[in-house]
Amino acid sequence: MGLKKYAAKLDDYFTRLKRGKAGKIKPDHVEKVIAKLRAKAERLQLEIKEATKESKKARLERKVLIANEQIRRAQLLLKEIDSTAKPAAGVDTKTPDT
Amino acid sequence: MKYQLRKVLLPVTIGMLIAGFWASSEFQEIAAGVAIFLFGMLMLEDGFRQFSGGILERILEQATRSMPRSMAFGLVTTTIVQSSSLISVITISFLSAGLISLVAGIGIVFGANIGTTTGAWLIAGFGLKVNISAYAMPLLVIGVVLVFQRSKYLRGTGYVLAGLGFLFLGIHHMKIGFETFKDTFDLNRYAMTGIAGLLVYTLVGALATVIMQSSHATLVLIITALAAGQISYENALALAIGANIGTTITAILGSLSANYLGKQLALSDVVFKVSTAAVALILIVPLRGFVDVLGGMIGIAEDDFALKVALFHTIFNVMGVAIMLPLLTRLIAFIETVIKEPQADLSRPKYLSEAVDEFPATIEAAMRKEVKHLYDNSVELIAHGLNLSRHEIFAATDVAATVRNSRKTFEFDIDERYETRVKTLYAAIVEFTTRTGEKNMPPDVLDRVYAMRDVAGQVVHAVKAVKHLRRNVTTYTTHNQGAVTEIYNALRTEIARILVEIYKLDLAEPEDRSNLWLDGEAAQVEEDARNSIRVVDALIRKGSLDADAATSFLNDSGYAYTAMRDLLTAARAYYIESDSAVAEVERILALDEDEVSEVVVENADATSENTHG
Repeated sequence: MGLKKYAAKLDDYFTRLKRGKAGKIKPDHVEKVIAKLRAKAERLQLEIKEATKESKKARLERKVLIANEQIRRAQLLLKEIDSTAKPAAGVDTKTPDT
Repeated sequence: MKYQLRKVLLPVTIGMLIAGFWASSEFQEIAAGVAIFLFGMLMLEDGFRQFSGGILERILEQATRSMPRSMAFGLVTTTIVQSSSLISVITISFLSAGLISLVAGIGIVFGANIGTTTGAWLIAGFGLKVNISAYAMPLLVIGVVLVFQRSKYLRGTGYVLAGLGFLFLGIHHMKIGFETFKDTFDLNRYAMTGIAGLLVYTLVGALATVIMQSSHATLVLIITALAAGQISYENALALAIGANIGTTITAILGSLSANYLGKQLALSDVVFKVSTAAVALILIVPLRGFVDVLGGMIGIAEDDFALKVALFHTIFNVMGVAIMLPLLTRLIAFIETVIKEPQADLSRPKYLSEAVDEFPATIEAAMRKEVKHLYDNSVELIAHGLNLSRHEIFAATDVAATVRNSRKTFEFDIDERYETRVKTLYAAIVEFTTRTGEKNMPPDVLDRVYAMRDVAGQVVHAVKAVKHLRRNVTTYTTHNQGAVTEIYNALRTEIARILVEIYKLDLAEPEDRSNLWLDGEAAQVEEDARNSIRVVDALIRKGSLDADAATSFLNDSGYAYTAMRDLLTAARAYYIESDSAVAEVERILALDEDEVSEVVVENADATSENTHG
């Protein structure tokens, strides 16, 4: 899965952060969003179980896929934030390999 | 008539003052003292206003969860800011914006009435006993230096210090004025005793407070005049009672531009102060005795009438609260009978009024609520415009089936409904935003207010798009006409699903919801918009759709997808995380249509590999 747009948005964020135009993201912030997405994915799974129409199931499954992808990206972001928070290892603002 | 009276009143007042200045230099000194004191009060209020937009509002929201907390808040803040008027105006503003309840508002007003009595103690205990002007000068100088600083809080502190300096200077001039006045003229000869004296001096106290719009200023006058022996103790007590009645004018004036809740609070203040004054007048003799006993116990000298007035002022206000608290339920019932909640008029703004204009927190909260009000009206219009019941679609387990079965026309004039329930609110929102933009508001608050105005604009745009759809939706979906009915029903279903998703987002607790939930819907809209022409082509080729219906559908689907995009953009902005860093995370994680397609295709490939592998 290509992450070009994700990387561009991350670069944009770091640029704005350097200029003081963006709020600093801390691991807590990312974890909060991950928790919301996980909760949503779980609710969707429950709805899938209860759904009787195939079209509805397909629509819900698609939503689960989107939520899972967002969770995956959030975990990448978490690593990125962690790495920039450790100055000893050098500040690497580069985005994951796209 | 009112205007003419005002036109006459101002020159008459100025003329009388000039005549007074010419006749008596002492009067000039006293009047200057009052003027400086009032100017100090204004500076003090302005100073504390600089702290609004954060600290004051956060405390207010936290401090109004119970009656004792609300009262304590009113008492403490009024003691600190020394202005029950400022606290009343803030409370009316918060109440009008729907941030606090009427009961909490009444609690604050009760507390403020006790808090404001500390002013008399400061004047009687400190103002008269020390050379207060010695403190005024350094306060003024430091205050003015701070007033010119860039930091809002330093500026606020500067106004507060300079305000205190002017208060002290005003008291000093009043003191000097009365002291020299007594050598030439004895006001005490107008002293009145008995019931007539009580009533006349209560009226004088009330009038003086109405004119100066500050019970503090009246009390300073009373105490300095009493200390100089210019009025009798008995009359001073009546004047203090009158000052309490007169101060209701601030709440009444503050509530004129407020909604019914603000007016209810102002009425509760009037009821409280008038009843307290009535009880104090009836019980004046035992109260006076009680002041002597309690004064003796806390070490107030027998002849220190200034401190005794301060003690009396506190006692009768505490007594008023003690009487009113058990009657609170009845008081609220009475107020709600006199000032009734107006019948819900969906065409009028509910939260935007001049009463919420003053403070950043109330402006933002009122704006959010009004935009939600506009959205609710718009959802009703969109649903009815598509011949759907919003309650049915929100409760549906199968939205498509509910839409398919919704074949009855909703008889209403969509243009008229748009004008009265959407356009009027939008106009009020735009006007309110412009008004806010002209005020000196923190930039982040202004940005959020502008963002809410844009949300309103997108919602209105969506409604306008649906207005275009209505005629053909009614033509093609009220009875089954085959393929054309199906594709129009599909469009209705898609709009309904967007409304349902936004409804779910609204129902979720703020800490649980994320506008990332809407990414799937947004991608679906783009995919469907792209596919619509293909679907129509296929139906024409099959002979299921004639060219006329196809053209209508392609035009209408354009409007429908515009409405869906607008609704989604509006919802994303409305439900944006209040924590800017979390909002930043959501912005980075958001998936656009291409990314969603990639996710879906990759998953399909992976499933296929697993099946065939």
